[in-house]
Amino acid sequence: MRDLLELAVSATASGCIYGLIALAYLLMIRPTGIINFAVGEWAMVAAFGGHLLLYRYEWPYALGMAAVVAFMMLVGWGTERVAVRPLVEKGAPLLAPILALLGVLVVTREVISVSFPPDPLPVPFPFGIGRLEIGPVGGSYQSFFIIVVTLLVFAGMWFFFEKTLWGKSFEAVALNRRAAALMGINLSRVTALSFAGGAGAAGLAGLLVSPNISAHYLMGVPLAIQGFTALVVGGVGRVEGALLGGLLLAFAEQFIARYAPIPSGYTQGVPLLFLMIFLLVRPTGLLRARA
Amino acid sequence: MTAKRLAWVGGFVILAVLPFFLGSYHNDVYRKLLLWITLALGYNFLFGICGQVAFSHFAFYGIGAYSVVILLFQLNLPFPVAIVLGVVICVVLALAVAIPATRLEGFYLALVTLALAQLFIVVLNEGGDVTGGTGGIANYRLPPIFGWRIAGPSYTVVIVALLAATLAVLWRLDHSWFGRACRAVRDNPEAAAAMGVDVARTKVIVFTLTSALAGIAGMVYAFVDNTVNPPIFGLDNAFLILFMVIVGGAGRHAGAAIGAILLFLLPFWLSPLVGHHHQLVFGLLVVAAILLQPKGLIGLWDRFSR
Repeated sequence: MRDLLELAVSATASGCIYGLIALAYLLMIRPTGIINFAVGEWAMVAAFGGHLLLYRYEWPYALGMAAVVAFMMLVGWGTERVAVRPLVEKGAPLLAPILALLGVLVVTREVISVSFPPDPLPVPFPFGIGRLEIGPVGGSYQSFFIIVVTLLVFAGMWFFFEKTLWGKSFEAVALNRRAAALMGINLSRVTALSFAGGAGAAGLAGLLVSPNISAHYLMGVPLAIQGFTALVVGGVGRVEGALLGGLLLAFAEQFIARYAPIPSGYTQGVPLLFLMIFLLVRPTGLLRARA
Repeated sequence: MTAKRLAWVGGFVILAVLPFFLGSYHNDVYRKLLLWITLALGYNFLFGICGQVAFSHFAFYGIGAYSVVILLFQLNLPFPVAIVLGVVICVVLALAVAIPATRLEGFYLALVTLALAQLFIVVLNEGGDVTGGTGGIANYRLPPIFGWRIAGPSYTVVIVALLAATLAVLWRLDHSWFGRACRAVRDNPEAAAAMGVDVARTKVIVFTLTSALAGIAGMVYAFVDNTVNPPIFGLDNAFLILFMVIVGGAGRHAGAAIGAILLFLLPFWLSPLVGHHHQLVFGLLVVAAILLQPKGLIGLWDRFSR
């Protein structure tokens, strides 16, 4: 039983990371339809930012975290400016920005791999290494920190989309671009903001996961695939879907790795199988979009 | 018409004679260049002409290579049986992916095939004795075919023949009603359907055909290095082949060939300048191509030759 709860805490923490990446995709897909596969690389960049500010320059954690997320939002905004907006303005097909962002993905990864040594680099834990036990539920400090931060982010997102005019304008663009533009919503501002928000969410995920797995220039693609799987499982219609999908994926992954009688190497294949099955059987995800 | 055909035949004869004047290192580079062009031509038909983005093309190249090696040397099947079975495996797998996946819109095929490509690597790494695990399979040799042992430059001629056959198949298809149906599916699926094109069937046929062509190229590749291992068939190359077609010019055979030649040879020239980081240059080229020259290098050529 203890073992099970321990596993549940660590699965919840991984699920939160996947959920944040899924949220990053979702923020960009909803208003623009663009699947930005570079989110994994953004998470990777943020992990290196964490290494630089928190480990090498020893900034206080909160300040470093804020700086990294702010920097990532700037990166997202800049990416939209350079690689997406010119194509949208030209009226290029939707595939063009998606492919351009694949190019950006490779450029981002290579810039990092040129600038840093190839070995995994450490990123410090905000509260050190230790165990927290609340009744029968126990887990590492970092697991609880990840869960709390993610819940705060999703609560903030819920507030943003439900209670603010900005959030409403996002939804309006997602539902009908042209109608939203006719109602006086500034499309390019919404797009820029969605990329900034997506990069912020992806960066936060990278920063939160990096103390456990270290910053490495190849960490992006697996995160991108897991986050996308979470998105497909939860459905692109609703923000909560991203978190739900992430949690389901992480639980499936970790419980199969722990209890299923298959060789450990094959457990890497679990999210991939999940992705293929969901895309083929239920491409709209578990949650339906709200009408 | 016949003069044009003669020129093509002459061109391929020159390509086939060339390896006999090259040393073993240059033969190796030349063979890989020819294989990349073959792959890019097939991928161009799928992506450039039919508009389907898939990341499984390189995985099928690997599936072809691994199947022929496993069938020949682990199961000890006779050579012709192994070749036919290898093609059958590629076709069946491609159909299994394509029939459900092509129902999905747009980029979703890309994601299913990305997962497939990753899954393939996982299976290779975990396959134990069958796939040789992370080390792959090495130390085998092409068995004699009807008593002939093909090696050295004459094996390069086999690759030239593969390239010629691939181009011939794709060229004929492109210039038939099917090629026009593919372009219609790419440009406007609704209109294509209204014109009586079966959109889903067209996508499935193209995906299966190009994947099978990649598989056949993989079978030929298996005897180039006489080793197959997981890193060769990784995701980097799946991206590279997409980049080749984009930079060269999607939708044009010449464009795909130019892109393949350029991106294959670029690392040789760039390595003194940037070491192993030529991928950075590839990424920049792709972004630049999409933003500034969506028709690729072949589009530039058209503009200046006019």
